[in-house]
Amino acid sequence: MAASLSLGIDIGGTFTDLVILDPRDGRAVIWKESTTPDDPSRGAITGLKRLLDKGGIAPSSIGRVVHATTLFTNALIERKGAATGLLTTNGFTDVLEIARERKYELYDLFLEMPAPLVPRPWRRAALERLGPDGSVERPLDVDAALREVELLVAAGVTSLAICFLHAYANPLHERMAAEAIARRFPALSLSLSSELSPEIREYPRMVTTAANAYVQPIAEVYLDTLEAALKGAGIPGSLFLMLSNGGLTHVAEAKRAPVQLLESGPAAGALAGAWFGRHAGLDRVLAFDMGGTTAKLALVDDGDPLVAWGFEAARTKRFLRGSGLPVQIATVELIEIGAGGGSIARRSELGTLHVGPESAGAQPGPVCYGRGGTEPTVTDSDLALGYLNADFFLGGAMSIDAGKASDALDSLAGRLGLDATRGAFGIHDVVNENMAGAARVAIAERGRVPQDYALLATGGAAPVHAWHVGRKLGVARVVCPPGAGAGSTIGMLMAPARIDRVASFNQRLADVDWAEASRIFAGLEDAALAVVSATGADMARRDTRRLADMRYVGQGSEITVALPGSLSAEAVLAAFEAAYRALFGRTPPGANVQFVALRLAVSAPMPGSGGMLRLDGLGGGSLALKGHRAVHFPDAGGAVTTPVYDRYALPIGTTLEGPAVFEENESTFIVGPGARIAVLPDGSILAERTP
Amino acid sequence: MTDSATVRTFDAVELELLWRRLISLVDEAAAALVRTSFSTLVRESYDFSCVVTDAAGQSLVQATESIPSFIGTLPETVKHFIRFFPIETLQPGDVLITNDIWLGTGHLPDITVAKPIFRDGRVVAFSASTAHAPDIGGKIRSPEPREVFEEGLQIPPLKLMRAGVTDDTLVAILRQNVRTPDQTLGDLWAQVVALDLMEERLHVLMEQAQLADLTDLAAEIHRRCEAAMRGAIAALPDGTYRSELKTDGLLDTPITIKLALTIQGDTITADFTGTDAQVDRAINCALCYTYAMVMYGVKVCTSPNLPNNEGAWRPISIVAPPGCIVNPQFPAPGGSRMLIGHYLPMLVFGCLGQVVPERVMAACGSPMWGMNQSGLNAAGKPYANMFFFNGGMGGNVQGDGISCLSWPSNVSSTAVEISEHIAPLRFHHKRLRPDSGGPGRHRGGLGQEILLESLSPTPIAVSFLAERTIFPAFGIEGGQDGAPGVLKINGERVDPKRQYVLKAGDTVSLATPGGGGHGDPSARSAAAAARDAAAGYVQDDRRVSERNG
Repeated sequence: MAASLSLGIDIGGTFTDLVILDPRDGRAVIWKESTTPDDPSRGAITGLKRLLDKGGIAPSSIGRVVHATTLFTNALIERKGAATGLLTTNGFTDVLEIARERKYELYDLFLEMPAPLVPRPWRRAALERLGPDGSVERPLDVDAALREVELLVAAGVTSLAICFLHAYANPLHERMAAEAIARRFPALSLSLSSELSPEIREYPRMVTTAANAYVQPIAEVYLDTLEAALKGAGIPGSLFLMLSNGGLTHVAEAKRAPVQLLESGPAAGALAGAWFGRHAGLDRVLAFDMGGTTAKLALVDDGDPLVAWGFEAARTKRFLRGSGLPVQIATVELIEIGAGGGSIARRSELGTLHVGPESAGAQPGPVCYGRGGTEPTVTDSDLALGYLNADFFLGGAMSIDAGKASDALDSLAGRLGLDATRGAFGIHDVVNENMAGAARVAIAERGRVPQDYALLATGGAAPVHAWHVGRKLGVARVVCPPGAGAGSTIGMLMAPARIDRVASFNQRLADVDWAEASRIFAGLEDAALAVVSATGADMARRDTRRLADMRYVGQGSEITVALPGSLSAEAVLAAFEAAYRALFGRTPPGANVQFVALRLAVSAPMPGSGGMLRLDGLGGGSLALKGHRAVHFPDAGGAVTTPVYDRYALPIGTTLEGPAVFEENESTFIVGPGARIAVLPDGSILAERTP
Repeated sequence: MTDSATVRTFDAVELELLWRRLISLVDEAAAALVRTSFSTLVRESYDFSCVVTDAAGQSLVQATESIPSFIGTLPETVKHFIRFFPIETLQPGDVLITNDIWLGTGHLPDITVAKPIFRDGRVVAFSASTAHAPDIGGKIRSPEPREVFEEGLQIPPLKLMRAGVTDDTLVAILRQNVRTPDQTLGDLWAQVVALDLMEERLHVLMEQAQLADLTDLAAEIHRRCEAAMRGAIAALPDGTYRSELKTDGLLDTPITIKLALTIQGDTITADFTGTDAQVDRAINCALCYTYAMVMYGVKVCTSPNLPNNEGAWRPISIVAPPGCIVNPQFPAPGGSRMLIGHYLPMLVFGCLGQVVPERVMAACGSPMWGMNQSGLNAAGKPYANMFFFNGGMGGNVQGDGISCLSWPSNVSSTAVEISEHIAPLRFHHKRLRPDSGGPGRHRGGLGQEILLESLSPTPIAVSFLAERTIFPAFGIEGGQDGAPGVLKINGERVDPKRQYVLKAGDTVSLATPGGGGHGDPSARSAAAAARDAAAGYVQDDRRVSERNG
């Protein structure tokens, strides 16, 4: 048999998810294995062997492997990266440490700022200077730079970030330094700011470059090990990596710029949302993932997750903006909220009901786990409201102490002056509001309205909460795809190859040099095409997007505008103004417009990325109705006797009416009264609110 | 205000839900303001705030990303607007504006706008915003002006928009009087966008929550916050606690600020009696700003997690004799009021540290430093711009002070690459200042050193915000002082309160003050000392006298 199957491996902090997909008929087999943090490839290979056994599949039939990992993000968070040095313009070796000079919390005297990735003795000066237009004001002293690097290498530095002032406007000095250093110290990993993040503002550019240097040696070893392990397991297919931008790339590109992989796991999750959304016939999807501690939201427009041009890594306070390291890399835009099944409910100092962001996590976990948790959590309230089934918790794999949970809930309700049911639903309602609030802001920041979106629920807790979150947002449709636990791996297998490139372009629209813009785009396109085509993607079906960061002259924030096919001042102005109005309502009178950067994205479908999905063991049964239980629906005035279905047994094409409960091992999908429900061909359940 | 006699009540869940949504809507407006603003002050330095008040101008919620001064001043400005424009005279679509320094924030560049929000024909709320304009005309911002008239254009409370129609006369006067008409007006329209956004979101919220007005909700929020603040104050021992300090003032005349802070039951009174008189330089700190800075200091020590609104402020009152430098009278100038104002939270710490020493820190290298420039840019067009630079934080009971952090304000520094695009200046360095942190068991944070050179063929007028060049940030609990700041032009120390003109090749060097230390330096751990030595944070033990040469 030809090697026609695709394998997806998503290595997270706790679990490694694996899936094998046959793109010819959409058949998919999934497996979950514990992650082995000392050598993550070991757990992956163990899981792979079990998955092959489960599916009766020969390793020789795997034609390609797609991989996402949180390994590099964890290295940043835990500060377990390579011994990294920095070479920067003389006078600016403290930029990484002086940072933004701004508090992320106004009233906290005991702030903890993120430590710089490179300690002060390893931040060395190069004698050189460029002006803001890129002109050379002081030529690089190559010999002096080599002497600095020599000291670093002697001190044990294995990876070097090179970031010179204004290098976004002219890469000359960074390249000269890199060439000389590479000749003298061939074993040293090099990261150049002008290649990784050629954008104005020295602090985020330096952080991005240093972050790449910090993970690069780890990435090289890790990817080599994984490739060898896959070969050793008899898999002939090549390895592809999931990038933070939601696209795939080959191993060489991943080794060159591993900073692009920091958010590969979450990006895969957003892609899964995009894929299932597209298959449910939905143009705009709010992918909603909720686990034990956090919820994540991603917007998907016309099948593509929205991509932001930077994100904050390794925050010292997880949910506080400004407490992390700004990394300027195209990244699927994810909003992370401290809301999960383990989120703890408390009486605030003002006597209101607070839920999260503190979480009981897995230990001690919710009160109902009976592992010593005493403060009620979201899961405890979901249990009390009938959303979760004490007798079928995690598919019956776990026994639950509903009585203990109920006592803890009653006690909290008493302290808040609420009756027991109001208290329990209050927890559900407040945590839903926290998520809906974040979604409202994210959607509004794009000039859209929530009603345009459908909610797509993945992860253990999202299907339990999606119906009521949707109600808060005024969303009419909620989709729950099958195999919640393996959703992100499926997303990777459907992902295209994609590369994003950026170039600084500081020109006014009124007197822009279009030939220069075209030359820059051509250069970006050549670079992006080379990488994408090397992945073996279907180049005949590639999609090339030209975008520009633009603003009114004098503004400091840019908006990213999709440029029209033919570049002219009138057409570009119209595109910019339309985008600006959509975001901010009005355009300022009489202001001039300028470019700041040009961006280019090339994507092309991967062979073997399936158009179909048929999860093993789905849709086969005939005894879908398992029974009835009382479930709390506030619109129906309280508890309603609700049918409970076995998710796996529901035949494709089934239609039902709400209320209904759909149980599967990893989660429970709750649908309220008056909903129209349909089981779609890929096994997703679509629930529509009726007017 | 409520039509029916019944007062609407909110249970613990409903109140939480409504509160969250209110916070989220002001934060959304703040994000829009940052993204549409034209000046670096708003977009890079977050020198702005957004608020929603009830119909009486009592604040309900403020944007999370804001600076402490505006959190205190903005709601008061809304109340002043209502005094000038009684509710019954307002129409839908009106936008009110002022930059009056006594009604606003204490200096002219801060422009405040507010919009009444109508439901069923009556005002139910105001959305309001303050932002620091890049320029407001007048003498360039420096401590030199003798009267407010020199400081730029004064906008009394006026209607920028009347029932949705812009007052073109006012706009024309504004444009004519500022150096950066496009940026100043651009920021003003960005503020109006934020007001509109708050209005729109509030309508949706009130519709969904079936609120006819905000009276009962506001009362509930205020009641709870007031009770929490009173509880926090009541937990502190009664008494009068005193603190005083000297500021550089006008170099030849230091200024003494005295604070007697009285805790009596669940109230605090901050009394500045005995503080020096106002001066004929623009460092006077208008009462509105004094109030904001005292509130900030009290809140940090007593209830840092309490939301910001009217209720939280009620238990705190201020006594400041008219004519003293923390309550200056017309026409005293106030352009650089933070040169007094930023000391005030430190004074509050000096008092409250006597009862809760674990909740205060040693003195910071603040007031913040800044350099204002005005001249022609590379394209030969007039430009005006402000750079901010911060000193080190004081050490505290838990650890070392953070280096180069804005406090009590929260104004970030502009990227050097951006600054060099805007201004015809070249930065030769911007780096940590070794040995500037006050020694202590927990060392003060380091200040920074900046060296700039003018490349401009035409003169650039510069003035500074620079304090603690004489009186350093003091240590506490046995910790030592941080290094004082140093300002030099062409290598010579200069009076930071005066204006200078740079020609091509002239250099400016700024060294911001380090924070004070906390605890006896001999108690510093060997590991921490080794870390300091390895990183070069501490290079010379011979100390203060020599390091400023």
